[in-house]
Amino acid sequence: MTDATDLPLSGIRVVDLTVVWSGPGAAALLGDLGAEVIRVEGNDRMSRQVSARTTKESIAATGYHGGTYPDKDPGARPYDRSAVFNWHARNKLAVSMNLDTPEGHEAFLDLVRISDVLLENNTNGVLEKLGIGHERLLEVNPRLVVARMPPLGMTGPMSGYLGYGPNFNSLVGIAAMDGYEGEEPDSAGENYHMDEAAPAGVAFAVEAALWDRENTGRGGLVEIAQAENVLVEIGEYFLDRQFNDRDPEVLGNTDPHALQDVFATADADRWVAVSVRDDRDWAALNGVLDDDELRALGADAAGRRTHSAAVRQRIGTWCAARPVDAVVAELVAAGVPVAEVMSEPRLLEDPHLAARGWFRERSHPSIGTHRYPGHPWRSDDFELAWGRPVPGFGEDNEYVYLTLLGMPREKYDDLVARGLVTDHQLV
Amino acid sequence: MLSDIRVLDLSRWVAGEFATKTFADFGADVIKVEKPGEGSFTRAWGPFPEDRPDPERSALFLHLNTNKRSVVLDLRDDADREVLLALVRRSHAVVESFRPGHLEDLGLGPDVLRAVNPGLVLTRISAFGQTGPYRDREASGLVLQATGGPMNATGQADRAPLRKPGLLEHYTVGRSAAQATMAAVLRARRTGKGATLDVSGQEVLLAGADRRASYLLSAAYSGMTAPRGARSPHRHGATFTGPFRASDGFVMVYVTNQVFWNRFVELVGADDPGFRERYLDRQTVAGQDREEFLAYVADWIAQRPKVEVMEAAEARRIPVTAYLSVSEVMDHEHFRQRGVFVAADHPVAGRLEYAGAPWRMERGFALRTTAPLLDQHGAEIRAELAEEGVA
Repeated sequence: MTDATDLPLSGIRVVDLTVVWSGPGAAALLGDLGAEVIRVEGNDRMSRQVSARTTKESIAATGYHGGTYPDKDPGARPYDRSAVFNWHARNKLAVSMNLDTPEGHEAFLDLVRISDVLLENNTNGVLEKLGIGHERLLEVNPRLVVARMPPLGMTGPMSGYLGYGPNFNSLVGIAAMDGYEGEEPDSAGENYHMDEAAPAGVAFAVEAALWDRENTGRGGLVEIAQAENVLVEIGEYFLDRQFNDRDPEVLGNTDPHALQDVFATADADRWVAVSVRDDRDWAALNGVLDDDELRALGADAAGRRTHSAAVRQRIGTWCAARPVDAVVAELVAAGVPVAEVMSEPRLLEDPHLAARGWFRERSHPSIGTHRYPGHPWRSDDFELAWGRPVPGFGEDNEYVYLTLLGMPREKYDDLVARGLVTDHQLV
Repeated sequence: MLSDIRVLDLSRWVAGEFATKTFADFGADVIKVEKPGEGSFTRAWGPFPEDRPDPERSALFLHLNTNKRSVVLDLRDDADREVLLALVRRSHAVVESFRPGHLEDLGLGPDVLRAVNPGLVLTRISAFGQTGPYRDREASGLVLQATGGPMNATGQADRAPLRKPGLLEHYTVGRSAAQATMAAVLRARRTGKGATLDVSGQEVLLAGADRRASYLLSAAYSGMTAPRGARSPHRHGATFTGPFRASDGFVMVYVTNQVFWNRFVELVGADDPGFRERYLDRQTVAGQDREEFLAYVADWIAQRPKVEVMEAAEARRIPVTAYLSVSEVMDHEHFRQRGVFVAADHPVAGRLEYAGAPWRMERGFALRTTAPLLDQHGAEIRAELAEEGVA
């Protein structure tokens, strides 16, 4: 139905220098839109967060990340087989290029010259040390859109601080409101929301910059301070602080406007989320539970707030006496907002996702055939790209060096002979 | 930057309003079509000054609708529908988040809207998508997180799964809807072709980089189910992460590799050679040994203020951060210096500081106007249409 030139970013080339979660997630979204995304990976570093030396034995000794490999086996090419990398690897190309060598540096700038977008989420200063800060890149190619993702920005007293998603959630006020109802925020553990927030934000920013480039002919720097991107998601609480001089409470699974909670069912470790938003939901719920005491307790929204704990306890008792499927089926039939808290295996067999074709089966020689998570959204008018699931390490070396960069064959062979370009990671 | 883009916002809740805010804050002309009398749901949400409901002083509405204009239209009234169609005719995108099928019931389905504007991008946000057996299921934010987010893996092992706080899931869906819309608007510019987009909240969350998508792939690869637990139960070896109580709050510790591990042991055991000798350079720490290590660390952190712990760790390049409250964030020197909050006057709510740019670029974010009063721009917009001769 869709030809390759019909996608939103057909004809756009993206250089992907991202690592870990949020950056690669952003690059995946650009690939979905038809951009040619080229991951530049040094064979002397772990750009996929996976060591070449990972073995079944080393996993058995530490247990670390064993379950992320097909059949828990890292195999001969662990860096091609890890779910931590592969979830975002669709549609990408991979080229081996060591930016800390003169040969790699030169090839990289050649690639930048013929590209439209560069994406990176390294620690502040890493690119500058390599001589490829955004100012240099924009000199080489003024039409380039350079998207950088320093968690706390490129300036300011904390801009050099180390951290991961949960760290920055804590610095912008989100962790302090996370936790079980009425308890301290450390009851929550970690959430990785900052990582979830960044990819779509970066992709929007890049798309907007490309729109602008159509008007101005110029690219430029996009600075995505990931902590600020996620801070916007609690914007109402910053206004509340000014209105009422207070900080948000820790609400757990409850809500200031709806009566809701997560309840155990008769099935072991299978839970349901139930919400009552208004009188209509309440009437629907009571049609199912048929509990006079419950009806009396929560006759109106004020009553449901006052007696929230008691009301939830009665709903919980009802849920606990039934298998999860029965709870969901009865409440869905009545029109009450409800869902099982879905584990991964349950989602893999979910009939709704199956009907929508969300998971897709894909094969790769290094990995075998498996089902992969789908796109975040879809269109009736064009099909987002679904290329091979993963680029094997260095799988596109010849395409990038010979076809795109036009490097003479003997020069390329020399780089390969000297070990500077490989199809395997060394560390 | 997006000042040559026009977006029509038919949504009434967070996801849609955040999607269109993203356009408005970067310069687009976004017109909110509001229901007569009550307007958007977010006007009724709050929080409000002194907790007294007021549709013009809802923090949620004020935050989500900066830089937009408002017109009240009754979508069942013939004259108002003509105004709506005139607005559709000159828009790049329409964003809606009605229940699936409602737009069609109003006689304003994709066929109708795209017939008046073939280049239109119609973005449809819903809980489970526009097709499939669960299409018509009711959902709340909690239900969305249960069915799409990594909730099965958040919270503590022996307790109920725990959602993320606030309205984060709705914002997440909205940002994806914005990204999808912007992509399709770019495509329309190049090809002249419009598009109808199906944004399922469930699928947005399933594709999430908060580990959900990688957990799903791990399940497909090896049958792994991501475990719940306050301190990264999937981590092993000599690593540990999670929240710890400080003397005046909490810190988030993220020791994920041996370099951080050794730095952390040096920091905590600076005055304790026995501790350093016992734990430096360890490859694995398990069982009782691990319990003793964590108890020692917890005790060390508990005796110190959160910011002091953070600064000491940062000085040694270890990822440890303080839990800041909303008030502390607003007052923090880092965020002040960066101009993260932007002040503006609103005719009813007064002068307030708003969360500002989500990202920075030339000709990027600007707070040009605060959120509109209900129907504030009704007359102005009708006059524009009259002038353009389209209504």
